[in-house]
Amino acid sequence: MKVKIGFEIHLQMATDQKMYCDCPTNYQDVPPNTNVCPICTGLPGSKPLPPNERSVDAAIEIALMLGCEVITDQTIYIQRKHYDYPDLPSGYQRTSLPIARNGELQAIRIREVHLEEDPGQYDPVAGAVDYNRSGVPLVEIVTEPDIRSPEEGRSFLRTLTRVLEYTGKVRPEAGGAMRADVNISLEGGGRVEVKNINSVKGAYRALKFEILRQREKLKRGEAVVRETRAYLESQMTTVPMRGKELEEDYRYIPDPDIFPLILDKARVETVKKQMVEAPHLREQRLVKQYRISPAAAGVIVSERELADLFEAVAKEVDPKLAATWFRTKLKKVLNYMKLRATDIKFTPNQLSRLLQMVGRKRVTPEQGELVLRELVKEPSEPEELFRKLGLAPLERSELEAAVVKALKENPKAVEDYLKGQKEALNFLAGKVMKLTRGRADPRRITKLLLTKLKSKRKRRKISRRKARSKLSRA
Amino acid sequence: MGRGTLEKLDAIRRGELSAVENVQQVLERIKKQDKRVKAFIELNPHALAEAEAIDRKLKRDERAGKLAGLAIGVKSNLNVTGLRATCASRTLEDYVSTYDAEVVKRVRAEGGIVVGMNNMDEFACGSSGETSAFGPTDNPAAPGHIPGGSSSGGGASIAAGLCDLCLGTDTGGSIRNPASHCGVVGVKPTYGLVPRQGLIDLGMSLDQIGPLSPDVQGAALLLETIAGKTPNECVMLDVGRVSYMSRLEGDGVKGMRIGVSPKFAELTDPAVTEVIDGAVEKLRDLGAEIVEVELPNLERGLPTYYLIVSVEFFSATRKFDGRKYGKRIEDVCGEEVLRRILRGRYISRKEYRGKYYQRALQVRTLIRQELMRAFERVDVIVGPTVPKLPHKLGTALTPMEMYAYDYLTVPANLAGICGGVIKAGEVGGIPVGLQIQGKVLGELDVLKVMWAMEAAT
Repeated sequence: MKVKIGFEIHLQMATDQKMYCDCPTNYQDVPPNTNVCPICTGLPGSKPLPPNERSVDAAIEIALMLGCEVITDQTIYIQRKHYDYPDLPSGYQRTSLPIARNGELQAIRIREVHLEEDPGQYDPVAGAVDYNRSGVPLVEIVTEPDIRSPEEGRSFLRTLTRVLEYTGKVRPEAGGAMRADVNISLEGGGRVEVKNINSVKGAYRALKFEILRQREKLKRGEAVVRETRAYLESQMTTVPMRGKELEEDYRYIPDPDIFPLILDKARVETVKKQMVEAPHLREQRLVKQYRISPAAAGVIVSERELADLFEAVAKEVDPKLAATWFRTKLKKVLNYMKLRATDIKFTPNQLSRLLQMVGRKRVTPEQGELVLRELVKEPSEPEELFRKLGLAPLERSELEAAVVKALKENPKAVEDYLKGQKEALNFLAGKVMKLTRGRADPRRITKLLLTKLKSKRKRRKISRRKARSKLSRA
Repeated sequence: MGRGTLEKLDAIRRGELSAVENVQQVLERIKKQDKRVKAFIELNPHALAEAEAIDRKLKRDERAGKLAGLAIGVKSNLNVTGLRATCASRTLEDYVSTYDAEVVKRVRAEGGIVVGMNNMDEFACGSSGETSAFGPTDNPAAPGHIPGGSSSGGGASIAAGLCDLCLGTDTGGSIRNPASHCGVVGVKPTYGLVPRQGLIDLGMSLDQIGPLSPDVQGAALLLETIAGKTPNECVMLDVGRVSYMSRLEGDGVKGMRIGVSPKFAELTDPAVTEVIDGAVEKLRDLGAEIVEVELPNLERGLPTYYLIVSVEFFSATRKFDGRKYGKRIEDVCGEEVLRRILRGRYISRKEYRGKYYQRALQVRTLIRQELMRAFERVDVIVGPTVPKLPHKLGTALTPMEMYAYDYLTVPANLAGICGGVIKAGEVGGIPVGLQIQGKVLGELDVLKVMWAMEAAT
């Protein structure tokens, strides 16, 4: 049975100010109803300010990122969509006619992109509304019904959020900011709309459930009627919405208090020039420009800040060394500390100097990793961290002394090695490491150990020979 | 009243009359007369203190502003911090404003003292002043008759001398209609000239705030105080501060091309037409060139207006859902307000959009084009303001009879042009106002014609 799935996705745009007033948008960081004014609470007589230019530019950038054609030199009305809900201060939500059309991402066609505003947050239990979120700019992305499975849907949403987060123009999904409505129909059944989905996971589960439900119905010979259902996060199922919600007529009218938008070509060009490179394109460029492996490039572009950092560092040090470090050590340290690239506080210069030290073999990769960890925790100059960690390079004589001491104190291991038990070498190296408190390069330790052991063997052979010759002489 | 607005301002500036004395006199008159007139819903308890502050400034020769010491009445659909913006409705009877409307800020910055909130038709839905939830306003110029609406309290308080100037609002004639019935001066500015921030909506694409005044200079002064763009509002014309006072003098109407239309007489009571014809003759005598203009679609304005205003009003009142301001509008409002909400809800339905609202917007464009064409030939168009004389308070009218009061005033709102009203004469002791419609931003021409009329009477 052929499945057709389409999405309507709402994401908050990352602007400092709301859409139609100057209130800040960090609604989660402040006590309820503090980021508010007469405009975003819809007090009688309040009028919207002209639409926030930054959010309009952000929506244009997002549309371009999705390969859309921006609608230029035409009036784009901002409409009032009327419905009655406690979180809506004025009884309507402002939503624009499409600002862009005909995009594509992962072979899924993007039908159109709109500008919207978020309502407040209603707490039905407390019967209270927090208007901090009211008026935060949203972008609405509508796809064609090109998605064929819940898995494809999930993958599309993940890519979409990654691409959009990459622009820096939407709030990261971690903030719980994504909301989606899905349309889903099976061959031979009516189209069902599911609302109330708040995450990628939720979309996947809602789709899974709906396909199952619709397929079973069709199998039994029942009709799947065209309807609107709500997703219940707690039960991972969907239920029909009440009749009243269904018949809702939003009575759209152009908002008389706002001039329609007209996006001129020059503005779109400006946004185009300033916008960040799409991640998939950047990946290809990094491979070509820096001759690094596609695997490393893939990791590097996964976060824009990581890629920016890489390109800054690659100017100063061998890009291949940098790429290896980004893909392995840096990623490992960040993952271990549960950090994202945006959280990095050290400067590209600091990382460059560390990698230069590694490159010139002034420090070992292992020591380098220790320094990197410190760098992430508490940024300062790598040389300083190096000293602080007591990793100052070892004099050759010190290392030799340690090796000699280790050999002397562990005659059994020496004996074993000389008898051909190679593991004994690791044991001895460990002892030297301990004696030098980890400051020595393991490769140097092994090398020196081998030299000493070789000469020991030689001496022993000689002495044995001498002994034999003495015997023979005797 | 006695003296004109400028003379009074001079007297205050010279110290012959203090701002406190002026406000005291006004409050005294309100106390004596307003039980009967009902021009105010609420008085400003801080008015005298504000007047004292103005007097202190004047005494120290500080700049006190061009309205220094004048008592200003404010229509109850405008926000004034600490006072109730009730819109004369039970819906908002407990709504105390937390901010000043932009026009109120500007009036205060120029030393105007808000004495109180004027009575009005509920949510400005009415042309008689009778739909107020706080009782109808009387017409001091023709006691026992309606003062007109919806800025009924504004017109009446100017006529009775209960304050010096008033801020009214005009969506389909709500300043011009009471100005005509009460025999005072009123101006509806060009749409987008005066900021609406702080005005509680009736029809957002039609509403404008404007002055009501006993004389032309008072109206010009108040208008230039409140006019001009603010970056805080979207739908405004790109006009900075304007100055009318300095440009009122000159040749008067000499050489001005003044348009008249035979259409007006078709829609108007002959007794009113007679007074208006007299005024036109006067303007001709003063040197104006009278030109006939074609307004074939004039009467289509009324149904167009009521469709648009109802849809916009329906949208605007969705916030009065009973959750925030105590009462759900549909539960407590009067008949006319409910009628408009229901009409707006009905005709904005998805299946009717093309039939009503969209069609109304098309006719609106037609009317605008027709007026623009007329204004290619003339500087202003003069005619009657209201087709009929005001009825006796309490007379039962059908909705259509009530709406018919608006035939001649709604076209200016639909076209976004300006219009002013000045008394042209009387019929049996009842004032009749001449309406002067001007081009977009043609306020100066309108004021000049009114100034000439005032000087000639």
